[in-house]
Amino acid sequence: MFAIMKKEFKSYLLSPIGYIFIGLFLLMFSIFFIVTIFNYSVVNFEYLFYNGATILTFITPVLTMRMFSEERKNGTEQLILTSPRSLTSVVLGKFCAAALIMLITEAFTMIFFAILKYFGNPSLVVALSTLGGFFLLALAYISFGMFVSSLTENQIIACVITIGVFIAMWFLPGLAPALEPFSLINMFDKFPQGMISISEIITYVTFTILFILLTIIVLQRRKSVK
Amino acid sequence: MIEVKNVSKKYGKFYAVRDISFTIKDGEIVGFLGRNGAGKSTTMNMITGFIEPTEGTIIVNGYDVDRKPKKVKESIGYMPEGTPLYYDLTVKEFVTYMAELKLIPRKERKAAVQKAITETGLEKVQNKLTKNLSRGYKQRVSLAGAIVGDPKILILDEPTVGLDPAQVIEIRELIKSFRKDHTVILSSHILSEVSQICEKVIIIDKGEVVAVDTPQNLEKSTTEKTILRLTVEDENDKFETIKDSISSIKNITFAGTNDDKSKEYVIETDENADIRKEMFSKCAELGVVILEMKKDNASLEDAFIKLVEDRPEYSEKEIEKMEYQKELEDLRKELEDKKEEKAFKKQAKKEEKARKKAQKEDKKASKEAAKKEKGGDK
Repeated sequence: MFAIMKKEFKSYLLSPIGYIFIGLFLLMFSIFFIVTIFNYSVVNFEYLFYNGATILTFITPVLTMRMFSEERKNGTEQLILTSPRSLTSVVLGKFCAAALIMLITEAFTMIFFAILKYFGNPSLVVALSTLGGFFLLALAYISFGMFVSSLTENQIIACVITIGVFIAMWFLPGLAPALEPFSLINMFDKFPQGMISISEIITYVTFTILFILLTIIVLQRRKSVK
Repeated sequence: MIEVKNVSKKYGKFYAVRDISFTIKDGEIVGFLGRNGAGKSTTMNMITGFIEPTEGTIIVNGYDVDRKPKKVKESIGYMPEGTPLYYDLTVKEFVTYMAELKLIPRKERKAAVQKAITETGLEKVQNKLTKNLSRGYKQRVSLAGAIVGDPKILILDEPTVGLDPAQVIEIRELIKSFRKDHTVILSSHILSEVSQICEKVIIIDKGEVVAVDTPQNLEKSTTEKTILRLTVEDENDKFETIKDSISSIKNITFAGTNDDKSKEYVIETDENADIRKEMFSKCAELGVVILEMKKDNASLEDAFIKLVEDRPEYSEKEIEKMEYQKELEDLRKELEDKKEEKAFKKQAKKEEKARKKAQKEDKKASKEAAKKEKGGDK
């Protein structure tokens, strides 16, 4: 698993995709940072992550769309799938590499925390709980994006489906309040308020595990239909 | 040792590979021959565990590919069709990644990678990105990825496609050098290549194995007649009378006249008959000057074409019909089996009943006997 993670992580940084993701996120994040401070005079690190979650909804596919689609299109999936590595380690390796990029991105957002700390007194505990919740949301998003990527060899299709489903999930509760538990982004609301809610954490983690498993199953099944 | 037993691969109704079986012994170099879409790559992909057969089993070194994929994959080096590479890695990084994927221990990795790079002649380009290499080099990188770590079995899907003649010879020599301690399976369109490198040829056509043999035997098996091509200067048109004086000539056909008025003939003779000497002396007698005489040798190409072209071509409807008939037959068999089973059960029941009856009577008889005895005692 480690070898695959290392290679995938390297690929993110060798191809511009990793930089595009981190750069795009931080660019939009800083725009929101400036806008909230100067236009609304709200000085709060955590609340920025509401916008962060919105950004994430749209740019997660940058990380995930190529995961398996590219390998399938180039034929390199033959190389990994005929190696003695198990499917689980392949999937987890790729997942962890994307998660690592996400962690780096979050680490960069601490710059904004440092700026606020210089002028005011933001709470580190709430900031960390927000970052933790945000990371869980990102993991859930990545696992879903990875699953979609394993379904098609066309990266654009993978990207569009991923964003489409994320947006649909976002507005699901508007249809019926019963659909609230399916809206990942709305579940994030509690974290920036300093609440660490077990039910939300469990939902994120189960969602992540579910789609990692589904990815493994898809790859397993493709063996017999390919 | 690789054993392929009754393996089929079906896509919907279409059979990519239908009921193929063969065994490959350790240390053999085996060539897969077949036209485009014959099922060569599918078969190779099934041996490597990349795709699963619809039916049948494949056993590699005693391990079932389906049940112990890890054990099987550890012993196989695979070079897929179309040389897929990671284009954002350098040659060295790519081969190292392949070594890592193959679970080669960290200590041996560096040496193994360097060995593979040297063997495939990639030292000069090892720090270049694979996407910037020419096609021939990409091919070699793919081959290096397959041989890194010295796997016991090498499966190479068209290893010499797209190489220049010098490179082709190099790669062939490299593959030949694996002979001692590797089993090699390779597919190719180039028949002369297969007859040069391989000890055994498996000819596949339309998803079925048509022949498994050595190239020499295959070549021999197709020779039914010997063909002699002659270019002669024959001013008096006497050449065709030669048929009467050499008995083993079956047929002489006139193939045309050249610009210099020399004539070309194609002569068919009996199998294994060599009439070249006789031809020479007879022509001298007749005053015919031989400018060129050439004996056609049967090649693997002839064998291949004969084996492949002679097979009946079925349309989809016919195949469907055949399948339908097969299904019908299966159903009929099943029905018969059921009938037989029923009859057998009936018979068994009858016998059981008879036995029980007999037992009962026996008991009755013994009871009565006991009663009688008791009565007798009284």
